[in-house]
Amino acid sequence: MKCPRCVQRIHRAAPGCPHCGFSIADADGRFGGEELSLRLLTDSAGILRRGERERVEAAMERVSRRFPQLFVAVYTGALGEISNIRQFGFWLLNRSAFEDLPADKPNEAGILLTIDPESKAAGIVFGYLLDAFLDEADTFECLSRAHAYWLEERYADGLVRALGHLEGVLRKRSRQARRDPEHFQRKVVPPAMLGDLVRRIRAGHCNVSTQQPTVKEEVGK
Amino acid sequence: MMFRRAVLLFCAGAGIAAAVEPALPGWDDGERDALESQGWVAGGILLTDEPPPEATATAEPAAPIEMAQPTAAETAGEETPPDEIPEKFWPAYFGERPKNFLVDPQGLLSPADHRDRLGFLNYHAGDSMIDLYVYVFKGEQEIPGEVREEELVERFFSQGRPAAVVYYYMSAPQRSVLYLSPSLTDTVSAAEQRRALESSVMQAFKDVDPARQIEGFLVQMSIRIYWMERMLGGASSPEAAMPVMVRRPKAPDIPAVPLEKYRPFLDDLRRFVMPAALIAPLALAALAAGFWQRRRARHLFPEFDVEPRLGGAHAAGVGAVISFASATLPPASQRDQVPDYLRRA
Repeated sequence: MKCPRCVQRIHRAAPGCPHCGFSIADADGRFGGEELSLRLLTDSAGILRRGERERVEAAMERVSRRFPQLFVAVYTGALGEISNIRQFGFWLLNRSAFEDLPADKPNEAGILLTIDPESKAAGIVFGYLLDAFLDEADTFECLSRAHAYWLEERYADGLVRALGHLEGVLRKRSRQARRDPEHFQRKVVPPAMLGDLVRRIRAGHCNVSTQQPTVKEEVGK
Repeated sequence: MMFRRAVLLFCAGAGIAAAVEPALPGWDDGERDALESQGWVAGGILLTDEPPPEATATAEPAAPIEMAQPTAAETAGEETPPDEIPEKFWPAYFGERPKNFLVDPQGLLSPADHRDRLGFLNYHAGDSMIDLYVYVFKGEQEIPGEVREEELVERFFSQGRPAAVVYYYMSAPQRSVLYLSPSLTDTVSAAEQRRALESSVMQAFKDVDPARQIEGFLVQMSIRIYWMERMLGGASSPEAAMPVMVRRPKAPDIPAVPLEKYRPFLDDLRRFVMPAALIAPLALAALAAGFWQRRRARHLFPEFDVEPRLGGAHAAGVGAVISFASATLPPASQRDQVPDYLRRA
């Protein structure tokens, strides 16, 4: 994954970005440290009309129905700079409590789509449950599908289109994970297991040295 | 001074020369005969031996032609009295509601034409809810002044089926008159009646034979009455409903394929019809079930233990960010996500 501030690739389980030192504490300092209560569709920017809200909610609901573990949230608001939208999405999914979300669904299963109509930018953040299954390219494809609509300020159409593509990507990843779960597990395997692997290799070397005859033994024969 | 005199003398001389006309050319002795003996004289059609006009002007005027003087009645502008319908036919024409659809007491139609026209009118009456009654007159005949046609139609045709009454003049279809029974006059506009009559007259004039004229007239009137029927049912007029192009395009000639040629193939095909009829619905049902199942499918992800990053308790998976500020910055150019301080302003 990449750091929300410097967009550099960072190590698994890193408590802070090794390049710029960013962590959730920095985001708290910028956006506030207290918990936030939101609805799954929060249109703070007021860019969705009534009929459009219903269409977007229906698209969100469809994703949740197809993927019972997951949920989709949409937030629209003015954030200032484009760089903020990554940090804001990261902070919002970690700090917010969604009122209309069933209690059995944690934020780890969430996909948050953030739109800033002032700076004309949008971004996607997802929880740890999808860490092995989604990557930056997947989310970029989803946003690309909506780009033409958002250029014309047809935000609802763009959202529906992006969620439709996201549904297709998730369906594909789900099938792949069912066929080969280890492939995805390797993406999130803890570093400690690498130590075990090194130990096994060394042990193997030791076993080989005890079983095979030395050069002197060969000569003596 | 000398110059002025010279100019005056020249002008005077020129005036005298202009006043004397040159003599016309004439034939020399034997010159014309020689040319004519060769067969052709140039400009011969312009040459004439007639004396000049001055010579004829002196001739005595021709005696005036004696003509009969117009009578007093003619000078008063009186026309020839019209050919009126003989009184003995009045009861048959105007005395009662006609017994059949063709009223021709004068026998203006031949027996064969009468039978054919009556047969057509009977056929029309069986096919249409509006009867068509036709009164046949001579082309120059006039309805007697004592008869009021509208009043007659109203009196005879206010009861019973709706009717269209035509006064048809043989050899003069343009004089024909159409009346509708009272039950139709409110529904069918005067313009529509006029159009019906005009189109029927035009159809009649496509032939010169009076018997063929009345035939064409009645056929066209029957068609127009059909459209009047449609109007009674709420349809639009034929001008609006009928296409502009009347001529029907000829269908391409497709050579007939003998069925026997394909008989063995059809026999083979027949053996597969029954299995196909059974399999096709099953296949369709399977497809529909598959589609329905796919729509209702629920997708699950395996859950792995992921160590938190950057201090985020729930999420650290930051995906892509896209800018839609300008159409000149397409998504393809934003694929490589870079920090903002590296992005060109």
